[in-house]
Amino acid sequence: MAEKLLEIRNLTSGFVTEQGIAKATDRITLSVEKGKTLCIVGESGSGKSVASLSIMRLVDYAGGAIFEGSIGFSGEELASMSQKEMIRIRGNRIAMIFQDPMSALNPVFSVGDQIAESLRLHRGVSRKEAWRQAVDMLRMVGIPDPELRAKQYPHELSGGMRQRVVIAMALICKPELLIADEPTTALDVTVQAQILDLLQRLQQELGMAIVLITHDMGVAAEMADRIAVMYAGKIVEEGTVGEIFDHPSHPYTIGLLKSIPGLEGARGEELYTIPGTIPGINQLPSGCRFHPRCAKAEEKCRQAEPLLREFRPDHQAACWLYDSGGGLGGDDKESEVKRA
Amino acid sequence: MTEYLIRRILQSVLVLFLVSIITFVLIHAAPGGPTQVFLSPGLSQEAAQIQAKNLGLDQPIPVQYMRWMGSLLQGDLGHTFKNNLPVGEILWPTMQNTLILMSVAWLFSLLIAIPWGIYNSTVEYGLSDQTASFISYLGFAMPTFWFGILLQELFALELDLLPLSDMYTMGKEGQIGDLFMHLILPVTVLTLGFLASYVKFSRSSMLEVLNQDYIRTARSKGMKEKRVIYRHALRNAMIPIVTILGSDLAILVSGAAITENVFNWPGMGRLFVEMALAREYSVLMAITLITAVIVIIGNLLADILYALIDPRVQLARKGGASA
Amino acid sequence: MSVTKLQRKRHKPTPGSEPKLEPPVERLSDKPIGIWKTAFKKFMSNPFAVVGLVVLLFFIIIALFARVIAPFDPAAIDLINANLPAGSEKHLFGTDELGRDVLSRLIYSSQVSLLVGFSVAIITVVIGSLIGAVSGYFGGWIDTFFMRLVDVMYSVPTLFLNILVLSIFGSKFSYMIFIMASTSWMGTARLVRGNFLQLREMQYVEAAKAIGVSSWGIIGRHLLRNTTAPIIVSATLMVGGAILAESALSYLGLGVQAPETSWGLMLSSAQEFMLVDPLQAIYPGLCILIVVLAVNFIGDGIRDAFDPSKKVRIPRRRLQEWRKNFSKSGI
Repeated sequence: MAEKLLEIRNLTSGFVTEQGIAKATDRITLSVEKGKTLCIVGESGSGKSVASLSIMRLVDYAGGAIFEGSIGFSGEELASMSQKEMIRIRGNRIAMIFQDPMSALNPVFSVGDQIAESLRLHRGVSRKEAWRQAVDMLRMVGIPDPELRAKQYPHELSGGMRQRVVIAMALICKPELLIADEPTTALDVTVQAQILDLLQRLQQELGMAIVLITHDMGVAAEMADRIAVMYAGKIVEEGTVGEIFDHPSHPYTIGLLKSIPGLEGARGEELYTIPGTIPGINQLPSGCRFHPRCAKAEEKCRQAEPLLREFRPDHQAACWLYDSGGGLGGDDKESEVKRA
Repeated sequence: MTEYLIRRILQSVLVLFLVSIITFVLIHAAPGGPTQVFLSPGLSQEAAQIQAKNLGLDQPIPVQYMRWMGSLLQGDLGHTFKNNLPVGEILWPTMQNTLILMSVAWLFSLLIAIPWGIYNSTVEYGLSDQTASFISYLGFAMPTFWFGILLQELFALELDLLPLSDMYTMGKEGQIGDLFMHLILPVTVLTLGFLASYVKFSRSSMLEVLNQDYIRTARSKGMKEKRVIYRHALRNAMIPIVTILGSDLAILVSGAAITENVFNWPGMGRLFVEMALAREYSVLMAITLITAVIVIIGNLLADILYALIDPRVQLARKGGASA
Repeated sequence: MSVTKLQRKRHKPTPGSEPKLEPPVERLSDKPIGIWKTAFKKFMSNPFAVVGLVVLLFFIIIALFARVIAPFDPAAIDLINANLPAGSEKHLFGTDELGRDVLSRLIYSSQVSLLVGFSVAIITVVIGSLIGAVSGYFGGWIDTFFMRLVDVMYSVPTLFLNILVLSIFGSKFSYMIFIMASTSWMGTARLVRGNFLQLREMQYVEAAKAIGVSSWGIIGRHLLRNTTAPIIVSATLMVGGAILAESALSYLGLGVQAPETSWGLMLSSAQEFMLVDPLQAIYPGLCILIVVLAVNFIGDGIRDAFDPSKKVRIPRRRLQEWRKNFSKSGI
């Protein structure tokens, strides 16, 4: 088994509100191996972005906090690390790309400056050397005429170009882990594919691991080694990409797969949509969080919350359908009854 | 750039032209005219008419306007009715006095307000922020002249620390130390007003920037919070601040009218009230136009500064609409 | 694909964005009452706003019943009892240099301030909204004309124009209200115009046009109604500004004239007799300060109440305590 680079255990993070703690992620456990790609898939509101902000420890600045759990990153514990120490790691060994390249770049600095800044911060290289490397990086992410582009300001570049700049900025310090939060969502379809190809090429060249956050099963299929499906703050299914696509198990995963255009829906029928909407983190239903939208829901699903369990090798799901153990108060010591 | 400037200047000339017409008509449409105010009350109807004729006041308003405009274009601001003094001779010294008072007060408040507002944006709702918010509520609700009167009562009459009013003590004209003592109270009054709006403004424009995505990006690059704030956020926050300063430039000549009256400061605002009561048309016209010119220059300056610090703005592309 | 689109939309900060998502037909006639209800609730849970409201009501009642409440005729001169100190028998706040009862004068002055404040605010908002609505809706040369006019009005300092008109035309009360209103409509006009430019692109306006609603019908029924909240806020904040401006003009001797009374006028004579009775300068100024503060608190309260991004405020300290208790990380 390959070496684990990132190991998240029981991570609970979210926001403190008037009503109390709103858990955007609820005891999630994930891991990423060196050089591999993990896709976290889910609708918006499922907590996947908060999860990524928690790894970066940026959730603190978004008005949230990590309440519980650990984030192990090659031997270091990030969850309880001080921000002062975290600065060493952020942007250096773990880098992040955000969804909207239009707003992710500072409008008053040239793109070259913004790329070079990380190098100056973490490597302490000279201004000239940083600039040279920034230009190289721009070339590497496929921007033509990088010497000229480096001197330009973000507003002078197109959306796809800007996302390339954002990628260059994230990768300039050659991080071991890249977290990409919906990196292609805001882009045109044709540009999306180019950016995904670019990420894959760079991953091979630099040997980094990627945590890719997306709502699009199609993207996950293309990029992932493993997939974790998130729903309302919980991981409901996790496994290798082959397992998830060959034997999707959780009704939510099946729903997500059915709603990919061109896969299941290609037979001329109308595109499938999962009925209902994702619940807000303050109004979670009892029992399994997905049961109000689930066609296969039974009485048990309404009362007790299922836990993730491995029912095939390299494949786990949190659903009573695959939980052979007893139901309410059965021998499953871990299953928790929702305190109504 | 030049094309834009030329267009803007032409627009400004048009605005100035309209200002002058409106003011001129407003002044001359008044019932009674100036003669009633400054002539001795015993003067006969006939004598008054002769007076008016000598001054050209019997002509139709368009003709009077053309005459006034004609001499203005030759650099002549006109003469006062009383004593026939050239307007410039009255105006320039008072304008200087106002500029002294206002530039001290303005610079002083900016030096406090901008850093304070920026600091407060990073410690939202802390003690310093609450204090600033208290001051700005006071500043917006307190009549400036009342604040002035209170300061006079306390520091000039009760404690006898500072001079009550005027610009210099008699016989000490031109002495810097004396001027400084006289400046303290009016500057305090003006500063309260400026602080009220500038602290709030710089705080909110900084807060707005701090909520932007690129600030999160900056943090994700792994830098000290200080660097995030003072390198990545500050420069963006300064854009609206500098812009508002440019368009506020006109308060340097017009903002002190009330304060000057409270402290008997021989400036343009006080002159304006005095001359309005005496119906000295040419002085009123001159002051109105000068302030309008400064307003327009300020706005133009704001636009240019805006283009200089914000790479997204290109003057040439910006349309004529001034919304 | 559809998810992508929706998400992209969500990221654009559009004021009043929720109408966009609803079908246009429902939006045609009515604004949901819910907005007003929640706004009212939010307003009432803001202690500053509520205190402001109570204080303002207090002054309104005093102004309305001045005749009943005031112990003396505010203009009655009584030279024998001039300059009595505060706390004198019969004269709670003493008398001024002409022996007029200060308390009665304070009470009657509230009439002037409130009358000027509210009438100027109302007239200003009516003029401003009309001009803004017409420019924003029709655009073209109408817009250009009015916006140039706004430029012109902005380039002459308001106070100078007020002084000019009042000194030349005479200090009549009606003139004062008129000139104050006609020098302060520009802000509202720009606000309404900006809102209209945004709103007129919305679907429900298209729909209304399509079924043949007239321009004025659209302006009145759909657009102005959706601009109500910001208009109310700017009107409220204008009340305070007008009260301050009146007091300043009266202080300069250009506003309210002698037998009548106003807080600004009282301050003007108080300054002259500062040596004799310094306390006389305190009361009127304090009245102005309190009324304007109250109005501003109300205005801020209304603004926050209609601002969807402003949640009911939790004290920051409590939040920080919570975070400290629960969080294992932190900044």
